[in-house]
Amino acid sequence: MQEKEIRTIKDLSREEFLTKGHGACPGCGVAVAVKNIARVLGKNTIIYVPASCLIVFTALYPSSAFKWPFLYTAFENTGAVISGIKAALERRGKQGVTVVGMAGDGGTFDIGLQALSGAAERNDDVLYVCLDNEAYMNTGIQRSGATPFGAWTTTSPVGKKIQGKREFKKDLDAIVAAHGVPYMATLSIAHPNDFVRKVQKAKITNGFRFLHVLCPCVPGWRSEASKTVAIARLAVETGMWTLYEIDHGVEKLTYKPRELVPVKEYLQLQGRFRHMGEDDIEKLQNWICEKWRNQFYEEVPVPPCKLEKVKKELILDEDPLHGP
Amino acid sequence: MYEIRFHGRGGQGAVMAAQALAEAAVLEGYFAQAFPYFGAERRGAPVRAFARIDKEKIRVKSQVYEPDILVVLDESLLEIDPVGEGLKPSGKAVINTTKMPEEIDLGVEVECGTVDATGIALESIKAPIVNTAILGALARVFDVISLESILNAIMNRFGEKLGHQSGVMNAEAARIAYLRTKIGRCSARRQLAKTKVWLPAWYEIPPGNALPQHAIEGVLIGPGSMVQNYTGTWRTQTPHYTKDKCIRCLRCWFSCPEGCIERMEDDYERWDYRYCKGCGICAQVCPVNAIEMIRGVHEWQ
Repeated sequence: MQEKEIRTIKDLSREEFLTKGHGACPGCGVAVAVKNIARVLGKNTIIYVPASCLIVFTALYPSSAFKWPFLYTAFENTGAVISGIKAALERRGKQGVTVVGMAGDGGTFDIGLQALSGAAERNDDVLYVCLDNEAYMNTGIQRSGATPFGAWTTTSPVGKKIQGKREFKKDLDAIVAAHGVPYMATLSIAHPNDFVRKVQKAKITNGFRFLHVLCPCVPGWRSEASKTVAIARLAVETGMWTLYEIDHGVEKLTYKPRELVPVKEYLQLQGRFRHMGEDDIEKLQNWICEKWRNQFYEEVPVPPCKLEKVKKELILDEDPLHGP
Repeated sequence: MYEIRFHGRGGQGAVMAAQALAEAAVLEGYFAQAFPYFGAERRGAPVRAFARIDKEKIRVKSQVYEPDILVVLDESLLEIDPVGEGLKPSGKAVINTTKMPEEIDLGVEVECGTVDATGIALESIKAPIVNTAILGALARVFDVISLESILNAIMNRFGEKLGHQSGVMNAEAARIAYLRTKIGRCSARRQLAKTKVWLPAWYEIPPGNALPQHAIEGVLIGPGSMVQNYTGTWRTQTPHYTKDKCIRCLRCWFSCPEGCIERMEDDYERWDYRYCKGCGICAQVCPVNAIEMIRGVHEWQ
């Protein structure tokens, strides 16, 4: 049976595959992302989750919040396990089952990178989702390869000599794209239609698919619970997070802020950047401009890089509801 | 030996309270230990912390199952957790509530001190972090540790971690709570139900560890079984929905981390307040302000 193509959030199913009653913190970005990915993927799915917040709040034996078969083994082998599940399904002649692995940023950027690389290189027919909350939040906020420059974590503390993390975020998307995977995309929970369109595309593509979602974390980012979606939106508007997809080698920017908002506005909403001085913010801003230039071969309009206070309303996605 | 058990919610500071109490006991010349319950608990979820105080060296390392002193940092826990479980009849209890001790039903009749620690915390440290205020009340009920030692311990612990000013404010909260604590005896009307845990023997675990979807002794297991956790008790504010203003954009439905917003057939919404944790994202993303957050736990149709 041909299922209806999902183009906007109106087409999402009313049936939930991540049930209520899970134990995530109030305002959890991971829960928003996973719940909506689940709504798109639908019934015929098997999920694998390595050690992360996601397993802790959804699947504590013997109960589970997923209505799917759920697997869990070790931290570092998401790519290998989902490849194995798919191989087993193929051996048994089962068609049309989506195998999805949902790892955190620690399990993808650092610990699980080799298994991810292996699965991408073999082009196994699986979907890999990286839920990026920019630190090891499950074990109490330790720095990972995904933590942005200047952010406070328990292993990159704020002291007299060093204030926050000194290294910039690893460009994992470029690493995955370099494998020549059929489909990869970056997602933001603040752009719903873009979100479901990309997940739908990932669902119907054959071969290795990679989705990278930015998930704000309330205790780790020291933000307000209600601001989760607003922060995710500002991440896109400031250029900290770029929304694009690579579909069989064709790179496409799916949403471009008309003008980059100074990164300061994004940093202000989060306690993990509270200590940052002007020179550190400028360094981060220059990094964003540099990234933009490298990624899209396009000069960024001058104002954000000079870090002047720009009074401008947020430019929102093409959704008419976001008009002024 | 005195055994103390703290019941609180993630983010209220139950662990810090246990540590500060242990430090106060050490200042008084006792031996003490303090440790949290190791579980996978998130902000807002019920948590436990334990402390032991003795004249001699403490060799017990287990959790506290039969406490002498029970400290409850959040009143709503009385309804969802059997907090009074194992409390000795000769024991004492300290509860954060606006009620009188006689109105409290713990399931065990003991000497009980009540204090509005949330109110005091909002007054003096401008945040609903009640651990220091409850320690002041504990000093009043539990006369082994003096208020001075508790204040010193709070100053040490908080001053070292969050700065001197924070230590002073937290100590002030404890001092106010000490004065405002009401002492009485709580009642024992409720039956303490044993919490059900399904712990399978080796031969009960299904092959391949794949759990079927069914109930064992009334407890659901397997896929989708987390619906039995009513997480709605976590919230401190409740979304109120005005249907007339709603333009059916489904933005709140998409952005709710709980999935407690139900999408009706005509795309209007309905809230399942049993699960709403009150994060306020729905009110934040609503483009027409059809949802507003109201303080306190409410239920609307």
